[in-house]
Amino acid sequence: MTQVDVRQRILSDNATAAAALRSRFAATHTLVLNLISSPGSGKTALLEATVRALSGRLRLGAIEGDIATERDAERLRALGIPAHQILTGGSCHLDARQVSGALETHDLGPLDVLFIENVGNLVCPTSYDLGEDFKVALLSVTEGEDKPFKYPSIFAKAAVTVVTKADLMPYVSFKLDDASGQIAALRPGGTMLVTSAVTGQGIAEWCGLIEERLAAKRGAAS
Amino acid sequence: MHELSLATEIYRTCRATIDARGPGRLDSARVAIGELAAVEPELLVYAWEAVVSGGRDAAARLEVEWHPARQTCATCGEVMERAPGNWLRICPTCGGPVQVAGGDELDVIDLSYTPDEEETAK
Ligand SMILES: Nc1nc2c(ncn2[C@@H]2O[C@H](COP(=O)(O)OP(=O)(O)OP(=O)(O)O)[C@@H](O)[C@H]2O)c(=O)[nH]1
Ligand SMILES: [Mg+2]
Ligand SMILES: [Zn+2]
Repeated sequence: MTQVDVRQRILSDNATAAAALRSRFAATHTLVLNLISSPGSGKTALLEATVRALSGRLRLGAIEGDIATERDAERLRALGIPAHQILTGGSCHLDARQVSGALETHDLGPLDVLFIENVGNLVCPTSYDLGEDFKVALLSVTEGEDKPFKYPSIFAKAAVTVVTKADLMPYVSFKLDDASGQIAALRPGGTMLVTSAVTGQGIAEWCGLIEERLAAKRGAAS
Repeated sequence: MHELSLATEIYRTCRATIDARGPGRLDSARVAIGELAAVEPELLVYAWEAVVSGGRDAAARLEVEWHPARQTCATCGEVMERAPGNWLRICPTCGGPVQVAGGDELDVIDLSYTPDEEETAK
């Protein structure tokens, strides 16, 4: 028997593809967000509200990851932004090779901000770098405030956590202070926002954060 | 749920490592998995068995080395293990906020294999 030291990241192929994406987005000064949350927690609804608020000012585009159906990409195209649907056919996450493949075959045109909506799943997408500037975790108030400690990985890796469906807060016992304490413990220095796609609460702050990060990326590049 | 894709990547890495050294059969592989990597070790081993089954490396074992995340108090420097199933956010010694370090390991450490010439020499 022969022993060999390998010392290699398991996802080194993904890391290589993600690095290529990152330099491509650096060259075009495109800010890229990777949105991760459980199914139905409001990723597409947040993007719809974002497009309504920002599309006159910024060139926005989206890549939508789902196991099946074009529905999410259609919802965003209906608002006039280029959106491409990646169908993973059963896989529970997007990987960097799928994203670069999608960009090869479907040119979304020059973009200021690219949103990548990951497959609805709080666990698996966490491990896959997509060349994004930062990950955004969404937590809807109907899921309960204990989720950050139950799914620590995503809340530790996301620079921004958005608490969604705030309009439903009166109907569910969601302890916002508790959630924000957990998020702060998992990601010291991270940002937490509270939004509702229905009432528009917090959407201006969310859009402000996007514009700030875009300006910072451009400033760093020049 | 993505354990199957990870197991496939691990196997591909092992195979490429062996193939670069000449023909041989994989006996075992050792991987480091961090607590924050969102991987279930037991599921990873099941997935591994599914990936290698039927091929020449069907008997190859996967050993998972588990790496807990460490929590450090920024105020007094105390280093703590994470209590199972619970994230303390306050340092038990001084009451300061704790920071999390490590736990994101996701690496193939090493492997052992039997070169074909050894097999035929027996
Ligand atoms: N009350 C309320 N409902 C919301 C809000 N945001 C989303 N919803 C509803 O929640 C459901 C799921 O929203 P989506 O935006 O499709 O969620 P998603 O995270 O994109 O779902 P997947 O892509 O399937 O993972 C829909 O019925 C939305 O109308 C909100 O702010 N308030
Ligand atoms: Mg969606
Ligand atoms: Zn302390």
